[in-house]
Amino acid sequence: MKKPFRHVLALAAAGALTLSACSDPGADSGSDGPVDWPAQDADLSGTTLTIWAAQNSNTVPESVIAGFEDLTGAEVEVVTIPDPYEQGVQTKVATGDMPDLAFWQPTASQLTALNARQNLQSLDGAPWLDSYKPELRDITGLLDDTRYATLITTPAVEGVYYNKEVFAANGITETPTDWDSFVALARDLKTDGVTPFHEMAADRWGTQWWVQVQLADAAADGLWDRVNTGEEQFTDPTILGAIETYQGLIDEGLFNEDIKTATFEDQGAALLAGDAAMVVQVNSFFGQLQSLADTDELNQKIGFFPISPSGNTGTFIPDQSNALVAFKTGDADQESAARQLLSYWMGEGYGDFVNAQSTVSLQSGVETPADVPEALLSVSDSLADSVGSMQASAIANPDLYIYLADMIQGTKTPAEVAEATQSQFAELAKAQGAEGF
Amino acid sequence: MSTNLALAKRPRQKDHPLWFLIPALVVLVVFFFVPTLFNFVYAFTDWSSFKSAINFAGIDNFTSLFTNGTLLNSLKVTLVYAVLVAVFQNAFGLGLALLLERDTRINRAVRVAFFVPVIMSALAVGYIFQALLKPDGALNAILGWVSGAEVSIPWLGDTTWTIVVVAIVHSWKWMGLSMLIYLAGLKTISDDVLEAGRLDGAGRWTMFRSIRFPLLAPAVTFNVATALLGSMNGFDIVQATTEGGPGGTTELLNIFIFRTFGQGLFAQATTMSLVLFLAVTILAFPVIRYLRKREDVL
Repeated sequence: MKKPFRHVLALAAAGALTLSACSDPGADSGSDGPVDWPAQDADLSGTTLTIWAAQNSNTVPESVIAGFEDLTGAEVEVVTIPDPYEQGVQTKVATGDMPDLAFWQPTASQLTALNARQNLQSLDGAPWLDSYKPELRDITGLLDDTRYATLITTPAVEGVYYNKEVFAANGITETPTDWDSFVALARDLKTDGVTPFHEMAADRWGTQWWVQVQLADAAADGLWDRVNTGEEQFTDPTILGAIETYQGLIDEGLFNEDIKTATFEDQGAALLAGDAAMVVQVNSFFGQLQSLADTDELNQKIGFFPISPSGNTGTFIPDQSNALVAFKTGDADQESAARQLLSYWMGEGYGDFVNAQSTVSLQSGVETPADVPEALLSVSDSLADSVGSMQASAIANPDLYIYLADMIQGTKTPAEVAEATQSQFAELAKAQGAEGF
Repeated sequence: MSTNLALAKRPRQKDHPLWFLIPALVVLVVFFFVPTLFNFVYAFTDWSSFKSAINFAGIDNFTSLFTNGTLLNSLKVTLVYAVLVAVFQNAFGLGLALLLERDTRINRAVRVAFFVPVIMSALAVGYIFQALLKPDGALNAILGWVSGAEVSIPWLGDTTWTIVVVAIVHSWKWMGLSMLIYLAGLKTISDDVLEAGRLDGAGRWTMFRSIRFPLLAPAVTFNVATALLGSMNGFDIVQATTEGGPGGTTELLNIFIFRTFGQGLFAQATTMSLVLFLAVTILAFPVIRYLRKREDVL
């Protein structure tokens, strides 16, 4: 009776070996480069397209899908991938599972993370590119000069959201024009008994904006290109200095007292109530405010200005809800249908889309709806001369925000934050095969 | 003993043909042995989400992980967490078992109540406690109501004590299981022994210390080993309550692995999970051997 048992074991071992001989299932699929751009209304009866979306973007395509289904007879399914969205999608794609289209952060680092060259369709020569406002056309979505993602809404901008009523009550009529006047304003407010800044270290992710806006000038001067080649590091004076300044402002007492335990929700409530005068944040923060107050109240209370060391340059950071990518699924008809949906979305369907979403239009030929709040218009105005954030311009996106939150909790010094970020960045760059690592 | 011997001598294959094992073995091989094997293989490659090819990378992942302090920090946090959970879970479980030892109707109902958390989803437990322990959460509100002053203790925001709080939450979830096993252990203690002890004049404490606790040794072995080794693989409760914060002080190895995997560094994440596997194995043998030795009094 021992022998059959041994056979079973041998079989199992053989099976295991065969399996382990497999290579990456995400490897190699599909054809090269799109060849044609089908007309927006070409018949697609019997075709089903799948779009992956996150919990906060899964209702975004509704109006587009309804219009597209009517026009072409195709069926479009939106599949929600649970948060953390990026990790979920990356893991699925790495195991060979892919949709026709997906919401995706159109930055170089995130396109690399998805192995764009291998997995995504090139959108070069797409018919809608010329309808973009000229300054927005090439702002993002490109990796090594190939377009893999298309923007559908305005990318987020890191900048300062402020409470207009608090400013008015303290006699401030002009918003700061550079970093020094920004910090001076904060010190004045503190003297008047107002908490100048609010930060949310318990939820961690907002901490990085403070460092990034300080790097805007350096970013315009090619900082991230130098970081990408290992020529400059996070531990060098530029980035380390920004981290130290941030720590200095916290030590000076310019932030809310509960900085260590405050959350994203607390931050929105605090700015709206005037408990703090300013918050350095991105567009999703405004989304949070919109869940707390209506457009009229927001127009009355909340304003936005970008900030950088030498002026008012914004730092843009597109996120997953701003853009779409199309996958190389290996089925030429599906791939062509996916391109057709994008053509419709950014073509005939764009007007409806912008109205349904009450969002700022990216196209010169499509009007921005009247009910878009003023702060969001200021954000979108700042976009044209803004510079890329770390996420937009660096080849990898290390967990800077976690290390900064550690610093606020007191378990890391600014130097340790820079070191940890650099070593993680190098690890990621090395995995990508970047030169210099 | 004589019945045991008789069983052993009986030809086994009559009532248990070996091929009955196959279904269970297949499941075990596919879902346990193969992944573990992969774990060993991929740890020595450069598998990532950034490229399609998977190349052999030697011990590159190990050297870069050990030169970077984060892994050792996470290992330390994981060990501290495991020890805390083992202590709390057994203390709570044993306490409950002793309290609810008598088979009254009320005790039966209360035992069920304490067992409920065991079958709850760990993530749900984590999120519930996260809400309770917020600075403006229910626990502080209760404390404030009792003390009459406003309380806003950041239970999950302290770089020294939060790991203890999270370990208590973990222990709270699993204490019902320990209780059940201790109860079963207490039931197996023969009445004769207890009666003899009582006749010799032993008080409640002496009875517990010198008779009942030593006789619970097998239950202690099981409970300590499962609590210690199970919590080394902890993830869900900590992820839901603190996500490894504040300041990385509750970043268990599994949370670090999750974060690394999410960055697309699949090979590094695999290497870490291999390190965890080895750490658990290295810890398991001496602990279990020591605990089994304690059972020799039986």
